Amino acid sequence: MIKLAGNKSEFINSDYKKWTLLSIILGLFIFLPITTIVYKTIFNNSVSLKYLLETLLLEYSLNTIYLVLLTSFFSLIFGIFPAWFISMYKFKGRQFYDLVLFLPLAIPTYIMAFTYGDILSYTGPIQSYIRNNFSEIYYLFNKDFLQIEILAIILGLALYPYIYSVSRVSFSLIGSNYLNLSKTLGLSSFKTFIKIILPLSSPAIFSGLFLVIMEVLNEYGAVKYFGVNTYTTGIFRAWFSMNDISSAIILAFILMLIVFLLFFLEKKYHSKYKFNYSSNTKIQNLSETSLLNSILINLTCLIPFLFGFMIPLFFIINNSIGIFDKTDFQNLIELTSNSIYISFISAILIVIIALFFQYTEKISKSKINNFLSQLISLGYAIPGAVVALALIIFFSGINNLFPSIYLLGSLYILIYALIVRFLAVGKSPIKSSLEKHPESFDDTAKNLGLSPFKILQKIHLPINFSALIIAFIVTFVDLMKELPITLILRPFNFDTLATQTYEFAIEEMLKESSIYSLLIILIGCLFLFILKNLINSLSNAS
Amino acid sequence: MKYILKALIVALLILSCSNENKSNEINLYSQRHYTVDKKQYENFEKLTGIKINVIKANADELIERLKNEGENSPADLFITVDAGKLYKASKMNLLQKINSEKINKNISNDLKDPNGFWVPITYRARIIVYSKDRVSKEELSTYEDLANEKWKGKILVRSSSNAYNQALMSSIVANNGDESATKWSSSIVKNFARNPKGNDRDQVKAIAAGQGDLAIVNSYYIGLLLSSDNPEELNAGNSIKVHFPNQGENQRGSHINISGIGLTKHSPNKENALKLIEYLTGENPQKLYINTSHEYPVNPLVQPSNIVKKWGDFKRDSLDLNLLGKYREDAIKIFDKTGWK
Repeated sequence: MIKLAGNKSEFINSDYKKWTLLSIILGLFIFLPITTIVYKTIFNNSVSLKYLLETLLLEYSLNTIYLVLLTSFFSLIFGIFPAWFISMYKFKGRQFYDLVLFLPLAIPTYIMAFTYGDILSYTGPIQSYIRNNFSEIYYLFNKDFLQIEILAIILGLALYPYIYSVSRVSFSLIGSNYLNLSKTLGLSSFKTFIKIILPLSSPAIFSGLFLVIMEVLNEYGAVKYFGVNTYTTGIFRAWFSMNDISSAIILAFILMLIVFLLFFLEKKYHSKYKFNYSSNTKIQNLSETSLLNSILINLTCLIPFLFGFMIPLFFIINNSIGIFDKTDFQNLIELTSNSIYISFISAILIVIIALFFQYTEKISKSKINNFLSQLISLGYAIPGAVVALALIIFFSGINNLFPSIYLLGSLYILIYALIVRFLAVGKSPIKSSLEKHPESFDDTAKNLGLSPFKILQKIHLPINFSALIIAFIVTFVDLMKELPITLILRPFNFDTLATQTYEFAIEEMLKESSIYSLLIILIGCLFLFILKNLINSLSNAS
Repeated sequence: MKYILKALIVALLILSCSNENKSNEINLYSQRHYTVDKKQYENFEKLTGIKINVIKANADELIERLKNEGENSPADLFITVDAGKLYKASKMNLLQKINSEKINKNISNDLKDPNGFWVPITYRARIIVYSKDRVSKEELSTYEDLANEKWKGKILVRSSSNAYNQALMSSIVANNGDESATKWSSSIVKNFARNPKGNDRDQVKAIAAGQGDLAIVNSYYIGLLLSSDNPEELNAGNSIKVHFPNQGENQRGSHINISGIGLTKHSPNKENALKLIEYLTGENPQKLYINTSHEYPVNPLVQPSNIVKKWGDFKRDSLDLNLLGKYREDAIKIFDKTGWK
């Protein structure tokens, strides 16, 4: 009898090996283009690399660190506090804020920056109004607002939802046992927040923060407009200005290694903690608030929503009305369907692939799979234009070897590139959902002799279904805004809302771009509302 | 899950069935993305029945795509807004010479590529604009004069990552030499009113706001600003005047750059492609360009738009525009060395 069981588990083990093998192959497939170009270029003569290292890179790196720190600070402030208040307190407007605090995610970052650039400018509404009505105090407002600190606030407003969303889920899952215990120990609610809640939620918060940091590292349009030279400026200076692609690629690769190191450190730091959120206690009930607190809380929630969403949206709508009668609606419909089409297919594939990697990592518990699942997130750490370049070099190489395979300029390649770049976005919700479920589920299922595929199908698909939908929506909304990859790799005559928005905005025609960005935002909002409902039902269910 | 998979497979199959008829068409890789271009292509299609397919992206990215695609590239024409990038493509052996009498006839002589690799379709000047109230016309003369100490704290310009600034610096290097350009740059940097930032329109707004007195900008942005329907932008546009630098008798003329077309080395539809170039440099399409985007026409028979005409005629720098590409790297190094961010 015992021997029989042994055989069975050996059989299962070989099953797991197959999954590991498959994930290695798939991982290679995802990582191959990037490795090829690094291999191809690293031995080239990268003349400007030395030049850049000697002249600009220090300044660019310091700017980047400053911008990353400031943006992280603002996005943590804008993200964590509202999430905490909404998860813990009853107050007027709570449900409203709970619904809308995600929404800045729907606005492309560079549009947010251009829009605020315009709002704050000399000819913008604020300065114009004060100049025309209160000319005596106008000199106080006649300032140059294109400053790195203002850029950091704008980026913080655009990116805080990454932190808000993970914190919100994490805070609401912290059981009341922890909180009651801390009350019994006589900790004030502030201390409880600092000493209990934040450490417990820090893995989740860090996963959101990583997305924020990677977005900042890859930001090009907004930083250029604000005259802030970052590390990514250096990458494009090598490529566009000095015609030195290999230096550009090496710089991008170094950036990727740094992010990988950060991943690793975070992982190491958090491996000390091991806990499951949900199954231990019941969910905390919402606390009542005094009037004063309720006002403070309202303000805390209002600020990110107002500045991160309402004001830019209002401005964009206002611009859209101005050009409404000049709009080519047939074109608008075509671009909208292109955007939805490409984002939809890519997002579904990303969710499937991310689930596969995360699930394989979970069941196999092998180091290789752990490594692979980190590796596939790295696409998000390199600028989209470099990912696109990698695909161009890779596939034209294949084309030279096998002349009949000509894939460049097809939607396949575009989707492939989008997958490489956006897997990290889809991975994050799936990862945290899989981690939350106790391992006893898997152990039991394994002991029952279920195959990995059956475990996935019968257990993990149903219990993680909401997380998969969340991953889909977050990825979809992000893909709707995607720019450089679509620009470079798209087939002929294939325009999306994002490319059209960009083409107008970059030609300093913000007004003409508005109706296209408005559609990106509205479609994004629609999906984010669905997302919100899902997360609500998710936290109610657990 | 199964349904999603099925739907996905169907979607991917549809993707692969989209093989179009490839005989009567032209494929463009274009850096231009103005609304007027689309109109031009539609008109051409109506006239000739030849379908135009376009991919729009940054010039360097398109060059990379062309280079890697090699013989298999579907592209016929490469369109940029900077002669420097056409030079780069020709140096990388991605273009072939254009020999067409018909096209030749459409273009002003001094705007042609001496090597014959590209044809200009419009051009723009990088000019000085100045505050009506604080600067008088007599104070302004040349680009070189901007290095004068009298402009300390008064000059506005965008960043050196901007291709138009890079082209301007390349022209200074080509005309005055490396050393002189370096001196010029470091003096200009000392005269900056603020760190370089924003776009060309923002420089004009900063003059209106009193943050500086003069700015280096492209001519057509002023045209766009003056045709804005925001009264505040119009005011800003009207608070400045346009100065074409280096117009003196022995001076070289104002720096210009072209938007131009190159014929790709392996163009599969060469004949059609040449037809398009001929069309775009013809009289009516040239008029369409200049009236919507406020660029200058390359066809000598065509007059600039009314807004632009008001600024008067000017002498163009007759520099071989290929040098804007040739000296690009030197220009960048000068920017970096002198702290032009």
